[in-house]
Amino acid sequence: MEEKKERIAQLEDYIMKKCLWQFHSRAWDRKTQNENILKKATQLLCDEPVELETPLDRCYWADALSLTEGFRSNYKWLAALSKEEIKELMGDLKERIDFVTITGSLNAELTDPRY
Amino acid sequence: MPYHEFECSKCIPERKQHAVIKGPGEDLTHALPLGHLNTIPGSISERGCAYCGAKHVIGTPMKDVIHLSHGPTGCTYDTWQTKRYISDNDNFQLKYTFASDVKEKHIVFGAEKVLKQNIIEAFKAFPDIKRMTIYQTCATALIGDDVDAIAEEVMEEMPEVDIFVCNSPGFAGPSQSGGHHKINIAWIKKKVGTVEPKITSDYVINYVGEYNIQGDQEVMLDYFKRMGVQVLSTFTGNGSYDELRGMHRAHLNVLECARSAEYICNELKVKYGIPRLDIEGFGFEPLSSSLRKIGLFFGIEERAQAIIDEETARWKPELDWYKERLKGKKVCLWPGGSKLWHWAHVIHEEMGVEVVSVYTKFGHQGDMEKGIARCEEGALAVDDPNELEGLEAMMTLKPDVIFTGKRPGEVAKKIRVPYLNAHAYHNGPYKGYEGWVRFARDIYNAIYSPIHQLAHLDISKDEIPAGAGFQTAKMLSDLNLSEEVVSSSTLRQYTGKYDSVSSLRTKTYPEFKKKERSE
Repeated sequence: MEEKKERIAQLEDYIMKKCLWQFHSRAWDRKTQNENILKKATQLLCDEPVELETPLDRCYWADALSLTEGFRSNYKWLAALSKEEIKELMGDLKERIDFVTITGSLNAELTDPRY
Repeated sequence: MPYHEFECSKCIPERKQHAVIKGPGEDLTHALPLGHLNTIPGSISERGCAYCGAKHVIGTPMKDVIHLSHGPTGCTYDTWQTKRYISDNDNFQLKYTFASDVKEKHIVFGAEKVLKQNIIEAFKAFPDIKRMTIYQTCATALIGDDVDAIAEEVMEEMPEVDIFVCNSPGFAGPSQSGGHHKINIAWIKKKVGTVEPKITSDYVINYVGEYNIQGDQEVMLDYFKRMGVQVLSTFTGNGSYDELRGMHRAHLNVLECARSAEYICNELKVKYGIPRLDIEGFGFEPLSSSLRKIGLFFGIEERAQAIIDEETARWKPELDWYKERLKGKKVCLWPGGSKLWHWAHVIHEEMGVEVVSVYTKFGHQGDMEKGIARCEEGALAVDDPNELEGLEAMMTLKPDVIFTGKRPGEVAKKIRVPYLNAHAYHNGPYKGYEGWVRFARDIYNAIYSPIHQLAHLDISKDEIPAGAGFQTAKMLSDLNLSEEVVSSSTLRQYTGKYDSVSSLRTKTYPEFKKKERSE
């Protein structure tokens, strides 16, 4: 349990320090960004096909691929995980990122209905 | 993450919620400074006004435009002597500044007539320029001048010209950030979609939130051109008015300064379905990652990788020379908005400096989220600081250098803390691989300047070491370095030219043929 928590903290720290996609200015954008990029990142880590139909898909994928390359080169322990373990880990990571950037965020502008 | 109360601001208790210290094991959900609020009365802010944010930050970097302020000449103060958003058309937008010269009598009798006269006079004085932006100011907004109506009248009389009116008087927001917002929204509402651009590549972007400070945009354009990417428009540094009217045809919006320009990217996404990709032109790793992401989006990542490999091999040994000498130096990262987060982590990682404080003059809470997330534990984060708070922070944190604007920078000098101009740069450009080395060189020169060492001495009481002989920056910086580092054959100081930008303007690029498409 502690090990998993530590691993999620490492991945969270990487996202917070190296990425910008999780910090769009409104809650609905953050939700879409987190959902799509982390979903595609999970698929990439599990060697599963990734949908690339629309320009938006390609944009999420570019961020997701960059993220997974960073994860793989910085956290060698990822290579030893099974697909199920990766999915579980990434699911927990998404929950954590959603909390820090949306549901637990103290940013009062997130709910402003206009840009 | 405890809120931090400055001793000097105890008499303004509201200020306490504007500063936090990043504590161990804490995250953004524990505390976040308030932001983008009206400055509290009694606090002498370093902010600019909403007119300044609209005109002097975003509007005026457009290069082929007469930028006219409808107000007193004093409102046009910021031009070539304070702003450094250069352009490749001989800096027209910096060299010439225009105002309708509103005086007291116009406040009484109205200033629309004088505005119209001035618009026509300006177009006649510069017959090659057919585009104009007009900025409302406090005085003319308060008397209710209808600038849009005057602009329409002129466009009817002079059909060859086009005019954009920006209604963002100084009071239209808590800081310059209010003006960023207003001009973003006004531009997409009034101008985007009014020109159909010529598409010359399969890979077309808008480069947004980039202001060509000392040539930043031109450095980045060099990379994009080497990748065969067409930059349809730059919002707005070195950007062209008519190119910016054609923003709706891009395949991708590549966004640098989200603080000043995310609004237009968000609107372009909603209205035209153009994706927004946040990128970073500062720092080797963030820049490489950004170029690669653009390459991935278009399926030309090998072109990006070739640039990354070439530039890294050329410039990394020089960056590392400075890193060895900057390790552990304490920095207060006190810019206006986006550099708070663009730089917070990468200067620590790639230059070895310790960011002891971050602040933002006009950032929103979203900027603080990014900045606090990226800086290390123990850093003091402050929103909209006043001068006394800045002084108190410097006295307490004892930074080796601060990165800030020229106004607080001059204050820092008075207490013998060197500063680098984070807005207009000292010897930029700072974007790009070479630019990042130029930044490292400026930091090095600021910290190790022998003159700065002398500034620490107080001739009224300190003993002056008259017999100590001369010192150089290198003598000071290499004092405690290992022999291996000092005599390294791979590390070297900056070897670029004084002017790293002008040659890009005449550079030729490989032609990437556009794919044939069947209709």
